[in-house]
Amino acid sequence: MEVKIIKEGDVNVFAITGRVDTSTASHLEDAVNAYFTVPGAKVIFDCKEMEYISSSGLRVFLSAHKNIAMKGGEFSIRAISPQVKAVFDMTGFSKILNII
Amino acid sequence: MKRQLILQNKISEIPKLSTFLDGIADELALPQELVFSLNLALEEAVSNVILYAYPDGVTNEIALTAQLSDNNLIFTLTDTGEEFDPTGVPDADITLSAEERQIGGLGILLIRNIMNKVEYQRIGDKNVFTLVKEI
Repeated sequence: MEVKIIKEGDVNVFAITGRVDTSTASHLEDAVNAYFTVPGAKVIFDCKEMEYISSSGLRVFLSAHKNIAMKGGEFSIRAISPQVKAVFDMTGFSKILNII
Repeated sequence: MKRQLILQNKISEIPKLSTFLDGIADELALPQELVFSLNLALEEAVSNVILYAYPDGVTNEIALTAQLSDNNLIFTLTDTGEEFDPTGVPDADITLSAEERQIGGLGILLIRNIMNKVEYQRIGDKNVFTLVKEI
């Protein structure tokens, strides 16, 4: 898995490539953790090139959503594949996360 | 069809599941969506063992076999770690809001959603977790 952080205006876009699984989720967590202390941070996880996600990855998404919202920021997800969307549906994440 | 994968209880072993499933998928001509789902269910089961079955610093082996019986693809996961019945874990409550959602229970929820049947047995000093998918 790779994460590139790209600025789009005042939004920090995390372009995620590859598999977010038990062995890689901590890299994503480390990358996004820095934004948890920034008041009003705007973060988007761009999942266009994300091939796979397991519960370890879902936990990072949920943690990002909670922590960024707590500081008055905005967290969104975009361009998820149908298979990843199915995982979000199964776990109820489609309803609690902002998918754009 | 019968195949076996031996893993060590390290999270760096997780990518081997995908390679193992690709071999099965090639042999049985499984659709990609099914391979994705099976990978997910198996990762949840295996990562539970890797993360929780053994004390820190203890290296051990985990065996995963895959067998086709009629149209049932049967995976059996065996470890010698602490006794643990994953089928006894309640599913995460998916009706809660983000703020109320807890970390636990997602893995077993995914496994139950994906597989047609799951069964746990403690046999001697082994945890034997069987996951069945109709194909």
